[in-house]
Formats: sequence, C-alpha cells, structure tokens
Amino acid sequence: MNFELDEELINYKEKVRAFALKEFTEEVARTHDIEEKYPNELRMKALHEGIIDFMNPWKTMIGIEEMCRVDPGLGISATVPYFGAEVLMLHGSDYLRENYLAKVISGEKMMGLGVTEPGGGSDVAGLKTVATKNGNEYVVNGSKMFITNGTIADFFVTLVRTSKPDDPAKRHRGLSVMVVERAFEGFSSNKLTGKLGVRATNTGELIFTNMKVPEKNLIGDEGKGFYYIMEFFNISRIFVAAQSIGIAQGVLDRTTDFLKKLEASGEYVGEERKFKLAEIATRVEASRLLMYKAASFLFNYKPNPTITSMAKGYASETASFAAETAMEITGQTGISTDLERFFRDSKIMEIWEGTSEVEKIVISRMILKGEKNE
Amino acid sequence: MNEQAALMRDSVKEFAKQYLVDKATTIEREGIGKDTLAAILNQGFIGSNLPESKGGAGLDKLSHSVLIFELARVSPSVAMHVLLQNDLVLPLLESKPELIKGILSGEFPGVYINPMMDGFIKPENDHLLKGVIGSSSKYAIAIHSDGKVYLDYGKSEIDNDSKPLGMRGLGTCNFNVEKSEVLGEKDLADHLLLVSSLDIASIFLGISQGALDLAMEYTKVRKTFEHPLKDYEPVSFRLSELMSELEIMKSALFSDSIEEIMMLMLKNQAASFSRKVTRYALQFHGGYGYLEDFGVEKFYRDSVALNAMIYRPTVDKRFLATKLYSDKSGFL
Repeated sequence: MNFELDEELINYKEKVRAFALKEFTEEVARTHDIEEKYPNELRMKALHEGIIDFMNPWKTMIGIEEMCRVDPGLGISATVPYFGAEVLMLHGSDYLRENYLAKVISGEKMMGLGVTEPGGGSDVAGLKTVATKNGNEYVVNGSKMFITNGTIADFFVTLVRTSKPDDPAKRHRGLSVMVVERAFEGFSSNKLTGKLGVRATNTGELIFTNMKVPEKNLIGDEGKGFYYIMEFFNISRIFVAAQSIGIAQGVLDRTTDFLKKLEASGEYVGEERKFKLAEIATRVEASRLLMYKAASFLFNYKPNPTITSMAKGYASETASFAAETAMEITGQTGISTDLERFFRDSKIMEIWEGTSEVEKIVISRMILKGEKNE
Repeated sequence: MNEQAALMRDSVKEFAKQYLVDKATTIEREGIGKDTLAAILNQGFIGSNLPESKGGAGLDKLSHSVLIFELARVSPSVAMHVLLQNDLVLPLLESKPELIKGILSGEFPGVYINPMMDGFIKPENDHLLKGVIGSSSKYAIAIHSDGKVYLDYGKSEIDNDSKPLGMRGLGTCNFNVEKSEVLGEKDLADHLLLVSSLDIASIFLGISQGALDLAMEYTKVRKTFEHPLKDYEPVSFRLSELMSELEIMKSALFSDSIEEIMMLMLKNQAASFSRKVTRYALQFHGGYGYLEDFGVEKFYRDSVALNAMIYRPTVDKRFLATKLYSDKSGFL
C-alpha cells in the first residue's frame, strides 16, 4: 500500500499552489468577498495556464484542494465553471457535447447545474419544475434555487419532471435532465446576495416561465434524470470533499503559523491550544485518506456511494471543526485576519451537494443493506 | 426570577418587538442607527446598573442579566453595545463624571480591549489602535500593550476596508491616539471582566436562545420528503437536547442568588454552548441559513466573534481550576 502521490501529481500540485499563491492575493480575496463579485479573470487565467485539467479527475481533485487551501471563495470560483459537466460527458449526445461541453472546456462558455428548488433541498425527487412535451420541444415551468453560477452561466444542466411517477411512492421516476440556455425565451434569474461565505462565487435563483427547450437538448433518456443526477453527486461529492480538505488544510497552515509566531514572541501558547492543533491536523489527514479511497473507487470506474458519502460528510464536518477550533485558538488574531473568511466559507460544505444529514442517511442505508466497503 | 427581573424581561421583550425585531438585519448591514441608539437611551438601558445617585437606574445584577439576555436574543450587537458601556466603560470612568454624563446622553467612546484577550500578539505601538469597537469617537477606553487601562484622546477613522466577523452593528474604527492618561492598572480590567461574567454568560445564552427560537420555528414549517423537519429524529431530538441544556443554564442564570464561582462556570459553559447551538441552528435551516435575510447566520458569526472579543478561556479556566483545587492549577 502506497500513500504517496505519483510524481506527475506532485508536480501538478506544486504548480497549482504556485498559481494560487500568486493570483489569490489577500487584496483580491478580500475585495471579491466584500463585493460578492465573481472573479472571471481568474477563471480565464487558470484555464490558460493549464491549471484546470478537467479531463483528469485526480488532478481536478488535487487542484481544487490546493486552490481552496489558499482561498476557498476564489478557489471554488476558478474550478466551478464546469459544474455539471460530467452529466453531459457521460450521457450527452454528440450534438450536446459539441455545442455545449466543448465550449465550456475551451473557456468560451460557463455552465451550471439546476437541481435544487425553493421548497426542495435534500428532497430531489420532490421537485416541482415541469417540462411538457409539445411537438419537438418541451415547455418548462418552475424554478431553481441556490444555483451556483446562477446569474453568470450561459446554460444549465437542469432536472425537470417530464411525466408523473407510475407509483406515488416512486417519485424519482419520470424525471429528466435537459440543457437550458440563459438565452431561451422565458428564462430569468436573480442573484442571491448576503451569503455568509464563499461570497466570490455566484449564486442565483432560476425562473422558467413557459420556456421552450428543443427536444435535442434532452440529455440521455427521458425518465432517467434522477439516476443521472445521483451518479453526478457521487462524483461531485468527492470534489466537495476536496474543497473541504483545502479549507481545513488552509486553516491548519494559518493556525500553525500563528502559534509559531506567538511562541517566538515569547507569548504564552499552552498545551490546550497545542492539543487542539493536533486534533485539527489528525482530522485533516483522516479526511484526506478517506477522500483518496473514495476517489480511487470512482476514478477506477467502481463508484462506492457509501465511501463517497463518508468522505464528503467527514471532510465537510472537518472543515467546520477546523475553522471553528482555529478561531478558538487564535482569538483576536483569528477574527482580524483571513482566518475569519475561512470560518465563514467552511459552513456551506456541510450543506451543499448533500447535507451532513443526507450523507448519514446514505451511509446507514447502504450499511444496513449489507453493501461492502472494501 | 424576582419581580424586578420579571418586569425587566417583559419590558425588554416589548422594546425588542417595537424597535429591534424588524431592524435586526438592517443593524447588521448598516450599524445600530441613531434612532435605535436614541431608543436604547430613552429606555434607560445605558447606565441602568449604575446607582441612582450617579444617574443610573440602580438595577440589580439579575435584572441587568435579563436585559442583556433579551437584547441578545434579537440583536447581539445591541446587547454588546449595552454590555460594553455598562460593564466596562462606565465603571472604568468612575472618576470622570463629565464623561459619564456624556455617555448617559449618547456620546459613546470607542472601546479597545484587544491586548488583554487570548490570541492577540501585542501591537508595536499604542498610538494607532486598530479595530476599536465603535464607529467614531473623540476618545477611547483602551488597554495598551502594557496591560494598563488608558483613556485615550484623539481622532477616529471609520474602517471601511473590512467587514468584521461578528457584532457588525457596532462598527469598528482605527483610532489615532494624541493624548493618554492612565485609568487603572492591569488588575482593574481583569477584575471588571471577571465581575461581568454573569452578563457575558447572558449574552452567550441570549444568542443561543435567539438561534434556537429561529430553528424551532423553521423546522415546524419547512418540509422535506413531505414531512416537516421537526418530524425527523436527528432534528427534533437534537433541538430538544439543546433546549434542555439551555433551560438548565437559564435556571442558574436567572436564579435569585448565584455564587461568584458559578458565574464563571456558567460563562465557560455558555461560551462553548453558544457555538454549538448556533452551528446546529444554521445547519437545520439548510441553504437558507447561509443567507443573512433569514437571520440565523448572524448568531453563528456573533457567537464565535464574541468568544474572541470578550472571553478569555485561558485566564478564566486557570482561575476556575485554581478555585476548584484550592491550589494554583493549570500553570506549569
């Protein structure tokens, strides 16, 4: 068993870190956080400098971690223009891949994923957005909430109901996924402001009013949308684990620096604080190993939802734990440096892409069903 | 709870309903406005624990705790404003009746207590105080790097470049010190923070109560998988546990007689409890909890910020350990 990354990944990790340290300056991070402004220039720079290698999932995962380690809001912003791309990659027609996916990968367009609804949240199958077939198009009515890139993406991979479930207890049936363009008539969006953290990322509400979507924009088979989205979450949850570990590692870096400076200046450090630092460091390592295990299953085409949920759930709770504990350790210094931004950014990790509660439901359900995790 | 405290509770609740509930989010975004400051003053909250002979209302310790608790339940920034003036500024200015008179008519000084808090690397000079609590003032009460308490005169500049983590309603400024005079030795500030333990516990528990109020309401109406959140064990059991812990602490906080050591114990428990309870309250709001419009994220930020601003775990825990062992403890 080898716990080391290979040379290619080590080199890539160093390259991403150098990029993030150069570009994610405190001034840039603070300004985008205060003004709640998406850093489009960083997206383009990251793309042009080969920082984002979307075709290599290991690199994507490690890149996300390294960027979030320097600044979570900017790190997520630079890596999220492709959000939902895996659905197109795995199930999109040639037409959809050429007309949408290729343009996102080249940087010409940005995309998003429209799943969550105002009254929905964790209950994906309970969605209310309806797409009615009319000739060779769908007429879509409904809305989506908390959509990343909501007011800046050019199109969204969107989950809608195309037929009533044949059994009321099987609400996940009759759902489909389609590509919805901002330019379509009947599409509108509102920016959500006043977020606690990750304020450099763009979040919006999408509203569809008699929006006509060409039939050719349907992704995969009609009625299989729920499965495609669950499959996507299995992938994206690993990337949220990477965001979380990046945050926790960034917190650990800063807390370690703080304690070293405190000790060097002759101030009292104390064992209590050192023990807390040790606890953060241990949880960061444990989270990273769990993420690597989940990734090795998934990237070798043997996805394991139990391990994926464990990795996402534990890493996200570690991010919050690390940030909160660091605020205790660093006190006044913590609230007046970028650590406070890490603290605000960390909490969303336990909410998006499946709350901690949802992850625990998945884990317990799979264990009770007798799923093996090895 | 005695009659005076119960009367105070009802009157603060009424005040909060009239002046704070609808404004709590605006206070976070724009600061405690002049109207709200005037209402706080008119209600007699500032200086309420001062003896009547000095222009105050002579409130007993319990009633003052109730005041802080009920204000924090709706707006922690407003509660902190009252606590800072009543528990730190006014006692420190005991020898300056003209300044006390000013405070009782609405001239609030800046407050700078950073160097005595845990986790603060002392500044190189005491001429520029960064992160003074309060938006602008001609004078500040400040603990300098030598640990002594000073009355500093000078000019303040509002700090527009940063947005503090917590207690955003108070605002912060940078203060250029032109003239200073010593108000007291290090022991004085230590002593004041210690005797304010009950009020500090009150603000932590008020924040906890405010967050729990919102979480209880939200989980009644928010449905997932066709059931209200309250019908799920991980939600209702957790909230019941938190509410039980809070009620037990409130029964100690609001008892007619509480020993000094219990005040310190309560403050320690309340500080960590507030972080836990506000984190759960936000979590049970899901994505909506992350938005300031829903009002719960401010309690989460404030609980953590307050821990750094006014709570000193190392000093307090050493004091507590030494009392409990009846011997110097927690020192190597």
